[in-house]
Amino acid sequence: MRFWNQLRSWIQTTLHRSRMESEMDAELRFHMEAFAEDLVRNGMPRAEAMRRARIEFGGVERVKEECRDNVGVSFVDSLLQDLRLALRMLRKSPGFTAVAILTLALGIGANTAIFTMTNGLMLRTLPVRDPGRLVELLHQYPGEPAFNGFSWDAYQTMRDGNHVFSDLIVDSLNVIAVRADKPQPQTVFVGQVGGTFFQALGVRPAAGRLIGPEDVHTGDHSPVAVISWPFWKSRFNLDSGIIGEKIVVGDTPLTIIGVTERGFYGISEHARQDVWWPISLGPSSGMWYGLLGRLKPGVSMEQARAEMAVLFQAAIDRPDADPFVRRMELRIEPAGNGIATPLSQMLSTPLTVLMATVGLLMLLACANLAGLLLARGASRQHEMAVRACLGAPRARLLRQTLTESLLLSVAGCVVGIFVAYVAIHALIRVFASGRFVMIAPVNFEALTKPDAHVLLFTLAIALLMGLLCGAASAMSASKTEPATTLQQVSRIGESKARRLFGKGLVASQVTLSLVLMSSAALFVEYLSHLRNLNLGFERNHLLLVTLDFARSGYNAAQFSQLSQELVMRLDAIPGVSSTTFSDMSPMQGPGAASFASAEDHPEKQTQVSINSVASDYFETYATPFLAGRDFSARDQAGSPVVIINEAAARDCLGNENPIGRHITLSHVTSTKGEKTYEVVGLVRDAKYNDLQQPAPPTIYPDLLQQGYIGSEHSQLAIRTRIDPDGAASAVRQIEADVLKDVPIVRIMTMNEQIDSSIVPQRLIAMLSAGFGALAALLAAIGLYGLLAYTVAGRTHEIGVRMALGAARTHVMRVVLRDALWMVCAGFTIGAPLAFWGKRVAASLIPDLPVASLLPIVVAVAIMIAVGLLAAYLPARRAMRVDPMVALRYE
Amino acid sequence: MDKQLDLLQGTLDMLILKAVSLGPLHGYGILLRIQQISKDRLEIQQGSLYPALYRLEHQGWIASEWGESENKRKAKYYTLTVAGKRRLQAETENWNSMADVIAGILGTKPEEV
Repeated sequence: MRFWNQLRSWIQTTLHRSRMESEMDAELRFHMEAFAEDLVRNGMPRAEAMRRARIEFGGVERVKEECRDNVGVSFVDSLLQDLRLALRMLRKSPGFTAVAILTLALGIGANTAIFTMTNGLMLRTLPVRDPGRLVELLHQYPGEPAFNGFSWDAYQTMRDGNHVFSDLIVDSLNVIAVRADKPQPQTVFVGQVGGTFFQALGVRPAAGRLIGPEDVHTGDHSPVAVISWPFWKSRFNLDSGIIGEKIVVGDTPLTIIGVTERGFYGISEHARQDVWWPISLGPSSGMWYGLLGRLKPGVSMEQARAEMAVLFQAAIDRPDADPFVRRMELRIEPAGNGIATPLSQMLSTPLTVLMATVGLLMLLACANLAGLLLARGASRQHEMAVRACLGAPRARLLRQTLTESLLLSVAGCVVGIFVAYVAIHALIRVFASGRFVMIAPVNFEALTKPDAHVLLFTLAIALLMGLLCGAASAMSASKTEPATTLQQVSRIGESKARRLFGKGLVASQVTLSLVLMSSAALFVEYLSHLRNLNLGFERNHLLLVTLDFARSGYNAAQFSQLSQELVMRLDAIPGVSSTTFSDMSPMQGPGAASFASAEDHPEKQTQVSINSVASDYFETYATPFLAGRDFSARDQAGSPVVIINEAAARDCLGNENPIGRHITLSHVTSTKGEKTYEVVGLVRDAKYNDLQQPAPPTIYPDLLQQGYIGSEHSQLAIRTRIDPDGAASAVRQIEADVLKDVPIVRIMTMNEQIDSSIVPQRLIAMLSAGFGALAALLAAIGLYGLLAYTVAGRTHEIGVRMALGAARTHVMRVVLRDALWMVCAGFTIGAPLAFWGKRVAASLIPDLPVASLLPIVVAVAIMIAVGLLAAYLPARRAMRVDPMVALRYE
Repeated sequence: MDKQLDLLQGTLDMLILKAVSLGPLHGYGILLRIQQISKDRLEIQQGSLYPALYRLEHQGWIASEWGESENKRKAKYYTLTVAGKRRLQAETENWNSMADVIAGILGTKPEEV
């Protein structure tokens, strides 16, 4: 109550400062005049009375100052004074101000950018009821990404057997083209949901009704759909007449029964769902069920994991199950921040690494600026001493220095927000080139949207940096000893403790940049290792065209005829040397898999990757044949044949000659049943889906023999002698001519496709290299600043030395030795830290080349070079000191 | 006229509250009233009155309003607020008990110990 009173009175007087001043004047004048009048009434002459009144009253200005103090406005006054002075000081040295603001802006900007991403991707909670108790169920094969999808059997067993979930919610997140009122389809995220989905998440309709248990049937699902509020707005302009209208999802017409409430976007913020319809239940549906659970009150994550693992094992442990399937494991992860998507799985590790990196960068920027401010503060000792003599309390001097550093950090914050904005958009471009992301309408706006968390984070970082930077110089300013300073004792040299502290700051910058640069070198080495791997095929001069045959309606014969015609015409383009069709291309993503056994060993099953290819595949990809032959036109009518790679030959057939032997595949996507093939060719191993994994055993059946009719992403590969992008337009033209109903999904080079499969590695390498370079630059600025200041402070001493006969080279050596000492001190602390950092990085990212000493050697070499470079200018200046000038200046 | 006494530290606030509790007064009026009640036995530095007034108003114990003085001039009048009334009461009780204790101690005779 009293506090509010005081606050109100403080705000009133602060806002109406001039009125307060004039009222105060009037009040005091009234007092003195009234007193004088009383004196006059008692017989004193008027002039004498006024004089007496003023004497009796005492110092008017002092009284006023005390009054201002007592209502707290003097605080604001002196703050404004401090700010004005700080602004003037900063304007006086624009070079320093620019460096300081840029340093802060880079520190704040980098942190804000990475945090915005982390926040958007992993920290925001879903707008549903009690998101904290939501968990996601995933299955995972060893060494592969986890996937949220379960068979009907597994779903049923887990639903009926568990005691840990109050709800087990079905929502299968998918991407599909939707046709609404407009004829052209729009690709959106959709959900096929169980009957309890909306009810369990506590979602209400904005119009119509939502899907309930009555809409979900065994077998066929009922043809109804619910759309999201944003979709309702963008496609239907919030027209309430759409309830009961039709919407075509994929090829299925559905009737819209309702719209979800505003603000609800499904189960992932960046993969916002726009259409939901009931999933069909039952063993024959062949559906995968995406599952979310809501933990019962009091049930812990560990209890849920333990119970569900047992249930899941029971569900997959069936006599007829593939041996591969039995290796599946269940994972349960919190889903309150949204379910795991390809994007979040791709980015969670890089973002963790980068968050740590930018944190270090921020510390480095602080140490840098603290050093610069300290050096600057030393040159202002005289001013501080004068102020102290004039009666400024220590707290006031401390506040003045802090005001300056906070002013810098505010300016840095403003520029930093701009830096963050630019950085975020550059990051988004890299994300969007990821192979899982480019096929999905990812909502990047949601990722980059700054919210209260980001704002608070940025402000906290700016404040923290301002305080950290200013602390050292503020402490030293408040410890000013007026007497010694004014006697100019300090000109001979500053205190040892302070010099050590300044050097320590530079050494710590060297330490931090050594850590940042060695980890950057590590990531860059790793990336270049990935890019220079022997892939088993030639990556350059290869153009990949993805074709969508889903709507073509071709039968096998038509496909065979048209594809061969297309290949023939493409081969005729000048600069094209070879063309081929295949089901998959390397690094495109996970493809089909199966189990293979040799004819004489049916019990020994080997897991193999399957890629159906046309003839000339291996010629086009430049994968050499080791034995046997390519497919030919005769195979189309003949008995089933396959080409296998070395790994498949070794794992299935041992060391014998594979040509002419027979292999049985448990199933191939297009045939389903078991089928036996004759091996006609053996090719060298080639990477298939993952650059980091060794080439898997791979079986290549004949595309045309399989009765292939094309898929949504059939691959056409074109080997060129010229720049592959140059052939793209001719390819488009011919393709449109030959395959009229088959749209081209995308055209990219093999190198681009490889890059799209290593987005996380590229991100880490690119950014950490950028941060490493920045760190080196900052350390150089810090070193330069300190040395330049030291040399300036020691001009007198150097002059004396030279007058006494010291050689110029000796003087230069002294300065350079100083610099090298600081760099070496940084190394002794930095090297163990860098090794430790490598171990941490290795625990996050498998198969980093941690054993290599190269990164640290490179970092040390760069730092020594940077140190000498930064020391060179001050050293030269020291060398050029003219003893006469230096001494006369005294 | 008796010799004037220096004001005890921290008692000016209490005297101002008391003076204002008797009716609205301007700053000079407060000074006059305190001198009148104390029969001129208290020495008050005239200027020191105003910082105290500003502090008391800031704390919400007195309120101010511009009005007209006896000889038709604009003057700032102070009145006691409800909170100020409570404060004055508390301070008075505090002062009285303190005065009792001090007087008791000072009045102690050797045989009473």
